[in-house]
Amino acid sequence: MGGPLELQSKVLSSSLCTGCGACTSICPYLNAVEGRAVLLEPCGREEGRCYLFCPRTEVNLPHLERRTFGALRTDPVLGFHSSVLKARAAREEVRGRAQYGGTVSSLLLHALREGKVDSVVLTGSSDGVYPEPTAARTEEEVLRCARSRYLLSPSVGEVVRLLRKEEGGRMAFVGTPCQVLALRKIQAYEEEWEVSRVELVVGLFCTWALSHRAGEFLRTKLGGRRVRRFDIPPPPANLFVAETEDGRVELPLDEVRSFIPPSCRVCFDMTAELADLSVGMVEGEEGWNTVILRSERGRELFEEASRRGEVETAPLERERLEHLREASLMKKKRSEEERERLGARYLKEV
Amino acid sequence: MSRIGLDRPGKRLLLSGNEGIARGALEAGVQVCSGYPGNPASEVVEALLEASKEFDLYVEWSTNEMVALEVAGAAAATGLRALTAMKNLGVDVCSDFLMTVNLSGTRGGLVLVTGDDPAAHSTTTELDTRNYARLADVPLLEPSTPQEAKEMTKWAFELSEELGLLCMVRSVTRLSHSRGVVELGPLHRERRKPEFAAPPPWTSGSSTFTCMFHDMLHQKMRTAAEKFETSPFNRYEGPENPDLLLLTSGPSYTYSAEAVELLGLQDSVGILKLGTTWPLPEELLFKHLSHAGGVLFVEEIDPFLEQNVKALAAEFASRGLGPLNFYGKKSGHIPAVGELNTELVLRALSGLRGVSYSPRPPEYASRGEELVSGYVPGRSMAFCPGCPHRASFWVMKRALKWDGREAVVTGDIGCYSMGLLPTGFSVEQTLHCMGAGIGTACGFGKLERFGFDRPVVSVSGDSTFYHACIPALLNAKWNSSNLLHVVLDNSTTGMTGHQPHPGSGVTASGEPSAPIRVEDLCRGIGVEVRVCDPFEVDEATRTLQEMLKGKGPRVLVLRHPCPLTEGEKRKRRPRVHVNQEKCIGEECGCMAFCSRVLGCPANIWDYPKNKAKIDEVLCTGCGLCAKLCPAGAIVVEEGG
Repeated sequence: MGGPLELQSKVLSSSLCTGCGACTSICPYLNAVEGRAVLLEPCGREEGRCYLFCPRTEVNLPHLERRTFGALRTDPVLGFHSSVLKARAAREEVRGRAQYGGTVSSLLLHALREGKVDSVVLTGSSDGVYPEPTAARTEEEVLRCARSRYLLSPSVGEVVRLLRKEEGGRMAFVGTPCQVLALRKIQAYEEEWEVSRVELVVGLFCTWALSHRAGEFLRTKLGGRRVRRFDIPPPPANLFVAETEDGRVELPLDEVRSFIPPSCRVCFDMTAELADLSVGMVEGEEGWNTVILRSERGRELFEEASRRGEVETAPLERERLEHLREASLMKKKRSEEERERLGARYLKEV
Repeated sequence: MSRIGLDRPGKRLLLSGNEGIARGALEAGVQVCSGYPGNPASEVVEALLEASKEFDLYVEWSTNEMVALEVAGAAAATGLRALTAMKNLGVDVCSDFLMTVNLSGTRGGLVLVTGDDPAAHSTTTELDTRNYARLADVPLLEPSTPQEAKEMTKWAFELSEELGLLCMVRSVTRLSHSRGVVELGPLHRERRKPEFAAPPPWTSGSSTFTCMFHDMLHQKMRTAAEKFETSPFNRYEGPENPDLLLLTSGPSYTYSAEAVELLGLQDSVGILKLGTTWPLPEELLFKHLSHAGGVLFVEEIDPFLEQNVKALAAEFASRGLGPLNFYGKKSGHIPAVGELNTELVLRALSGLRGVSYSPRPPEYASRGEELVSGYVPGRSMAFCPGCPHRASFWVMKRALKWDGREAVVTGDIGCYSMGLLPTGFSVEQTLHCMGAGIGTACGFGKLERFGFDRPVVSVSGDSTFYHACIPALLNAKWNSSNLLHVVLDNSTTGMTGHQPHPGSGVTASGEPSAPIRVEDLCRGIGVEVRVCDPFEVDEATRTLQEMLKGKGPRVLVLRHPCPLTEGEKRKRRPRVHVNQEKCIGEECGCMAFCSRVLGCPANIWDYPKNKAKIDEVLCTGCGLCAKLCPAGAIVVEEGG
């Protein structure tokens, strides 16, 4: 347990902040600034939500898993799940606006249409570079937020704000593994707000994200052109590709990678292991998503959407599953070394 | 009709020391008055301003004290009587001109009124301006009461005119701002016609000429000294051969007289009250020192009398003055800093005379202290309710933290000097004199080559900007100093009582005058400038954060009028209240942010409920707390 001083010493001063917004959106002493939290001055409390919610302070993974899934994982690499498969949006216009297969958008549209949720907290972007947390309530608002954002975004902050203000109704949330982790900590530890209003958590696969300084770099490189989609083609391309309204721009991947913040380097989670279901790309196959069904509620939603013909599914090839496991394991190994190197003890101090 | 302009000689009025000075000027027939606002001298100019139409005076607030003395000096050079008034530090500002106009002289009476501030109530130093009289070789008068303030000022004009030399009148806070009975004299309404006749040129010359003028100055001061020997402003009271002589001037005289009386020492202790303190009346002093058993100097701030009289005593030895015990600041009997009062003089006197004195029975005193301590909490100075500086400093605090590079923030003189204190979130780190904020920032901003890579931010108010910041801004531009100057523009001279300034669009007497905008000045010299309203907290913070990243000199104007100005006070104020259902008080996510951190005096605490509330009497309806309340519990009722 701790308060702002511990948050400062264990997380902020060692640049381990993921900029998720869990601490900044409702606290007058903490501001979200360019993808990181900044402590203006300690509020004087010894314990606080800032420390409690932070995805880079102590994580009691077994507790969170039991609370989310009712059981502990049996798979140490991919986390708790019932199945892994391929999927894509059935509707072509959804696929056309999506990053890969449009599965996430389809599931959200289905949940909204069926009245399972009232709003969805997503990350949009008006210029295609800088992230903007958004609470979407309509089909168009959801689709406007489709496609991946590469810069750290205070999206959890938007959920916290809605919970605190008693707005947003029943919510779905889409986020990266660190954001999902923060959200699960909020649901596990918050005692006053109606945290069960977050009905559905969709996790996105993530290897790393970029600090806000990358925004300036990308803007300069792209000369102000609006970005439709960023992507990293499979190796050995070693490229970071921006599809802009004015054509395709290729940037050396290593230059972009120099903007990966320390908070990503210590991350153990590639597949959003605490989400209701997790979605990512299929390595080497465009237009499809890999989907990991985890909780009962995630499975139900997915299966219903599939039955209604919103998403098409296919089995995930064995070698692709192996590849996914390998990538996840690699991230865990790298993270362990980095945690050791940077003295980040958030997984140990349980 | 103005209060000080009452045409009833012999009438007794209750006037402050500053009003006494102004009345004295009217009785002397002053025609031109100038000054720059500064505590405790502002009301001298304000009182004359009030009388200006009635008496056909020209009164101006000048951009700074240097210009003020030059304006008055010019009028006096044409034969008019002119007065300029300023606080102690103002004399530093005008000292360049003072050190030359003493040599060039004057035709009409020229009086410089200085307001010293023992204990530095509203000043950044306890500067004793009497030293300037000695430095500049000009006559110095020190009134003790409002009546004397009037008489001495009137006489200062006559003396100045007779000598052809500027004359100083030194007041202190307790004289300027305390009231006493003043018997009015006849007013002088005759208007002189200005004439500027050359040659000889009005100058302090150079080389041989300067030495010639210097010699003439010494001659003038010898004449002044002769006059001072018989001046009625120097008075002795006490026995012919006192065991102890109190040598005193200014309000210290009144403390001394009271102390002697309270101790019943009238038969053994004498008081020599000096009103003309430079040049010293040597023969008068010789006479009284010769009869005294010992001397106690009672004066405020510097040991001015103490040192100068001791120097004279050394000369007097050859005339038979025996060894004397001198007591005062050097001996530790009189405090060397801060203000004096009767009790401090009592302490010195009772110690020296071996008389015991306790102003209150010890039991009563300790019981009193005990009772009071529970009711009087320690408190820090704070910005007024609705003060835009609170918003500006919150903006600065945030932007500097966001920037994260540990900026150096240099402060300046004004209400916003409190930026050093918790009420300004301790944003400022330095404070000296008018203009020193941006001046020192010019220096900090050139240290990058030596590895000093912190951003540099300087702060000034609008009036201070016009007063003393412009040369430093030019310097920053010329020498490409890396600094961001933030002008906290509340559209008035806030701290001293809302006097207009070059940006106000109006002169001291209310004549319209095209406002000179800070941003126009900046653009004119090619300095990047932006203007924000500090109450638009987020926008102002982002602008400041962005500007911090720049290079070279940059200026951000945070503009919002002071809510205490007359125009603002007349505006309809929205009612602000706390929805205590929503208020989360001291819980996580607030911790009484409004009353504990933001610290507006109108944000108070409802102790029984442990929630915030608004003191609606104090609240100006600015809405800053409502904007920053993390729970959205503070409601501004527009049009309320």
